[in-house]
Amino acid sequence: MLCQNCGKNDATTHIKRIVNGARTEMHLCSNCAEHMGYGDLFSDFGLFNMGNMFANFLSDFPLSIGSASKTARCEKCGSSFDDIVRSGMMGCVDCYSTFYDRLLPSLQRIHGKANHVGKVGIAMGEVAQQISKIDMLKKELEKSVEEQNYEKAAILRDQIKEAESEAQDNE
Amino acid sequence: MSKWYEKTGSDIDVVIGTRVSFSRNISQYPFTSRLKTDDKLEICKKVQKEVENLFPDRFQYIRMSELTQDEAISLAERGLVSAEFVSCTDGRALLLQEDESISIMLCEEDHIKIQGMLSGLELDKAYNFTDEIDTVLDKKLQFAFDKNLGYLTQCPTNLGTAMKASVLLHLPALTANSQISKLAVTVSKLGLTLTGVYGDISSPKSNVYMLSNQVTLGISEKSAIENLRSITLQIVEQERTARNELLKDLRYQDILWRSCGTLQNARILSFDELLHDISNVRIAASNGTINVPVEKINELVITMQPATINASKGTRLDRQQRDAIRAEKVRQIF
Repeated sequence: MLCQNCGKNDATTHIKRIVNGARTEMHLCSNCAEHMGYGDLFSDFGLFNMGNMFANFLSDFPLSIGSASKTARCEKCGSSFDDIVRSGMMGCVDCYSTFYDRLLPSLQRIHGKANHVGKVGIAMGEVAQQISKIDMLKKELEKSVEEQNYEKAAILRDQIKEAESEAQDNE
Repeated sequence: MSKWYEKTGSDIDVVIGTRVSFSRNISQYPFTSRLKTDDKLEICKKVQKEVENLFPDRFQYIRMSELTQDEAISLAERGLVSAEFVSCTDGRALLLQEDESISIMLCEEDHIKIQGMLSGLELDKAYNFTDEIDTVLDKKLQFAFDKNLGYLTQCPTNLGTAMKASVLLHLPALTANSQISKLAVTVSKLGLTLTGVYGDISSPKSNVYMLSNQVTLGISEKSAIENLRSITLQIVEQERTARNELLKDLRYQDILWRSCGTLQNARILSFDELLHDISNVRIAASNGTINVPVEKINELVITMQPATINASKGTRLDRQQRDAIRAEKVRQIF
């Protein structure tokens, strides 16, 4: 597919946007994508700021809907939702709980899901962390058995036993 | 102590290296864009103290503002920090293990970014040792975490695992066959992203690309890594098959040997020229046509970058002086 902007190079960047409920797609070559501000989106090496990308996602939200959103600010850092939309960055940890409902649609659009799966931080408590670790090991064990990788399964069984006994000690 | 890139690893003929990183924040402080330099330095000191207690004598603490411009850029050239981290050094610090396989960036986009690197395709190993540091540091610093959103990051695009796993791929044959655009589209449908490393993906100077996970929320670390590994292995097989076909063509063999000739004889060698010719020579080294270990070639690309040459000599050389040093070093290897 050729770039929709220059019509010369192959389109390698594909951008989907939903504006006022209407879905639009753009297919651009990397040069045009960069020129239009979509270049090198996930490169660790460029001077790209991930926040800009999130700001693009959030830009479909009208700024300051009614007076409530003008005044609603994070109690901890003072950020308003408009500040977050403009910068694409959250002000502090509490901004997530303050603006959770308004962020949710964007999070679902970016990640496809809005519920964490995986490692659990110590902030949830040592027991929750250990339960999550045991669950993950059990899933790995099931997969290893399915794949008939019995050597790995044996190692995982030992790790599960060890993690379970650690969890019992902590209870 | 030898550096991570001086060692070999799995599938090193195609996979140059593996990188796994975790972004973390300390709940009590606002995110970095809301912090003043003094607050950032307070975080740097706090993390430094914990890391030094947990791992005595293992990490060097580097205050970014105390480095020369070349020293700072060299860290970015070697992939130890991001380019953005170097662009503004105020209130930023780096904890670096001697073999450079672990670097901890302090006050980049997030308060803490723990990064592990290894040669070849070594996703499990890189994940495990990076995860170990993350787990023990979490116990001391209590990283910001939410039951539904996972690890809380300044930019919501990183929420969830806040993990980025990447592999650095050398794909000269797939590039020669114009397969990269198609590959980039395919991997994007599978939750991954493919980018060019030295230059743009559409006109790469070295045929080196980075393949990374894109989604971090709703997918576990292990699943994201498994997904990345399985797609990487398929790309590795495609690249090997394409190389074997290309190498049957005398015209392609001629191109490789001409590049060997350039590297064996050049007296002035720019970094772009090195990238171009070393990509060809790396193919010859991978299949044993020339007797140079692939990891030696990887080391040359990392250490012969402009600011890294300046930093190693401790002075700002002009372009021709650097190109002469590079040519001499390359001749010693070939």
